[in-house]
Amino acid sequence: MPNPLIDDRFVDFLLYEVLHAERLCELDHFSEHSRETFDMAMATSRGFARDVLYPAYKPMDEAAAHLDNGCVRVHPLMHEIFPRMVELGIVNGTRPESVGGLQLPMTIATLTGGYLMAGNLSAFGYLGLTAGAARLIESFGSDELKRTYMDRMYAGEWTGTMALTEPQAGSSLTDVKTSATPTMDGHYLIKGSKVFISGGDQDLTDNIVHLTLGRIDGAPAGIKGVSLFAIPKNRLENSKLVPNDCSTVGVFHKIGWRGLPSIALNFGEEGDCHGWLVGEPHRGIRHMFQMMNEARLMVGMNGAATASVAYHEAVDYAQNRPQGRGFTDRDPSTPQIPIIKHADVRRMLLRQKAIVEGAIALLAAAGMYFDISEHAPSEEERHRAWLLLELLTPIAKSFPAEKGFEANALAVQVHGGYGYTSEYMPESWLRDQKLNSIHEGTTGMQSMDLLGRKVVQEGGAALRALAEEITETSRRAREAGVPEELGSKLEGGMTAIGAVTMHLGELGMNGDIDGMMLHSVDYLEMFMAVVVGWQWLQMATAAKKGLEKHPEKADFYEGKLCAAQYWINTEIPRVGALAALCRSGEDSYARMQPDWF
Amino acid sequence: MKILVPLKRVADPDNANKVKPTADKVDTSGLEWKINPFDEYALESALRLTEDGKAPKKRLGEVIVVTVGPKETETTLRSALATGADRAIRVDAEDDALDGRMVAKALQSIVEAEKPDIVLMGKQAVDGDTNQVGQILAERLDYPMATFAATIQEEDGGVLVSREVDGGVCWLRLKNPCVVTVDLRIVAPESVYSLKTDKSFKHNDGVRFAALPAIMKAKKKPLDVKTLGDVAAGTELTAKYSKFEPPPQRAAGVKVADVAELVQKLATEAKVI
Repeated sequence: MPNPLIDDRFVDFLLYEVLHAERLCELDHFSEHSRETFDMAMATSRGFARDVLYPAYKPMDEAAAHLDNGCVRVHPLMHEIFPRMVELGIVNGTRPESVGGLQLPMTIATLTGGYLMAGNLSAFGYLGLTAGAARLIESFGSDELKRTYMDRMYAGEWTGTMALTEPQAGSSLTDVKTSATPTMDGHYLIKGSKVFISGGDQDLTDNIVHLTLGRIDGAPAGIKGVSLFAIPKNRLENSKLVPNDCSTVGVFHKIGWRGLPSIALNFGEEGDCHGWLVGEPHRGIRHMFQMMNEARLMVGMNGAATASVAYHEAVDYAQNRPQGRGFTDRDPSTPQIPIIKHADVRRMLLRQKAIVEGAIALLAAAGMYFDISEHAPSEEERHRAWLLLELLTPIAKSFPAEKGFEANALAVQVHGGYGYTSEYMPESWLRDQKLNSIHEGTTGMQSMDLLGRKVVQEGGAALRALAEEITETSRRAREAGVPEELGSKLEGGMTAIGAVTMHLGELGMNGDIDGMMLHSVDYLEMFMAVVVGWQWLQMATAAKKGLEKHPEKADFYEGKLCAAQYWINTEIPRVGALAALCRSGEDSYARMQPDWF
Repeated sequence: MKILVPLKRVADPDNANKVKPTADKVDTSGLEWKINPFDEYALESALRLTEDGKAPKKRLGEVIVVTVGPKETETTLRSALATGADRAIRVDAEDDALDGRMVAKALQSIVEAEKPDIVLMGKQAVDGDTNQVGQILAERLDYPMATFAATIQEEDGGVLVSREVDGGVCWLRLKNPCVVTVDLRIVAPESVYSLKTDKSFKHNDGVRFAALPAIMKAKKKPLDVKTLGDVAAGTELTAKYSKFEPPPQRAAGVKVADVAELVQKLATEAKVI
């Protein structure tokens, strides 16, 4: 069977049996939509991902974009794919009609995007980055910048990038050095070096707009002196494009995402690179932060999608690869059984399923909170959804990246020796996946965001909202006839989180920030287990109801119930141990001196 | 150019089909539906014939999609409108009230009212595989007909159609109005050319997908509903399904000791030699 990338039946289940996404159409902002428009958008994305993007994935992985005489040449297939992606209107799907968008809920766009990512992560990358960059101009740019850049980016005429990282300032944006000197003509003269700029050069469109962090001359030191600029590769002069002194210094030899070049970029080698301020001076980081939730959810879906395509490949392989016989059947004259009949192979597949579907469910739920936080009629409802979105974002980013990597490794494992060769696909997805725990804030940074900011903001309001949600989910699960112990285990996990958060919060209040943050990654790990368990309990509830209504679809619903049982019974017991570790003050790596390694 | 494209929605072939206990019907409850793939190819061909092949594409004609079926088939029509068709007509009828001849009768009346240059349709639907409606329709209209088209070129006042047949390609030149039914290869990059499309232009391989903005626009495109009584006189069906049964389960194979035994079995048991 061809790889479905993501299971359609699962996506429909999630949207209409778990999240009841058609309710979004009751909000004014989405009133033009209906299940029919959602389904059509989904059909476009599914078809395009399967028929066009996926067949191009392997050739693009095998022949990475390269530097040729100062210009990046992308894979020839990208030249066919790119205009078609643009034609489909994917770049501004969620944006309001006023900027030419479809006003699609994030809940839906998260999933339509998922198919495209699962089909070809790199190809989607060009659009994802362009959308993010254009969005910054939409929110903070002047009308002139919108007309010059945003309109063309949303139309796919030009692409966009995020040019943040510098060789001396990776995650540490405080140390950004790129300089911007004001001129009398309204623009700034930019000078600086950036690295790891995805899509930083390509030969698909005749221009690229770099959304860049830099410092205006004389700006305060540190994070509060960083501003945001739009720097085109070619600038418009008398309606003609002229080179804007942006030079590609090199292309990184990446182990994954090989269809999307990541480059080192110099601005102003000749002293003639013009940049335009986006938003207010010195508020670049603040502006960037406003986009952070969306960007992190997108990376989360990158991870979930990459794990999903590998999971489906592994299931298909396990169903068709005959190898060995059961414990009680050793007769060599009988045919060998498909490896899926070995319990240990099913263990690996069920773990992948629990991770993949748990991650996609979490991202769809985050998309729903996003939509409610932006468009619900009451301030109270918007605020509560925003709190939950804020809290869930570091999880929705890190869980698919970290556990997705584990799922991708299991897909290789299921393929056995063949999985370790490039004749089979899973190794390439394993390579792609690794980036997702690194870019857009590493896992370590996400854990600090969660513990240092999200759970303590507004006196722990977000954590309380989550606890309420879990209690309510557990009540509904009981009502629907989901085994009682699943809900009670999950509630126990949440209680443990509450208690350890209280303890760590007190350490912080007493000034022991190091002590509070010592086990932030373990804290994140514990949080992930519970939040994904919560998603599984919701799915189990919907599955139980579905099973009553449609006994003929038992295979589908039993699979959900089994995965929910697996996750809660194998992951939630770890919460106690992780909570104990977070409280223990266990200090081995804190004490460890650099010279001791 | 005005083209009429009849569409049928069929049960997704990926469904596990079940026969009702009464054995007179396939049980359609809980099935997933999709547009008949050959009809999808016909729609794609119609869109290609009514545009200029330039970027951005310009619409140069009208494509009307028609289906005969219950309310829920409007989803199929809306999808077709989102991919580019200009308007839609649904003839309201339950699936049980239809056979190939009845559908052809309904279409005939619509064709007579709409007067398209071409009726472009799939060669058959993948559910019943009867392969009749196009032929019955052409006969009733007394239109020239080409079935199983692999390529279509628009000519002045007609079309040149190629059909892949045993031993080669059969070319048919038809005068409009005509009925053309299409085969799989019609959606290859160089299969369909309108008079306005440059011969060096290559279409994308396969059918197109609805662009997101077009999905919203499709909601505003006209969708007319008629009753079966409006378009077809008489409700009696000529085809009746008397019995459905699933194909027999495949029996286990046997291993033969040598070639002699194989030949013997082929001759006496399988009776194929």
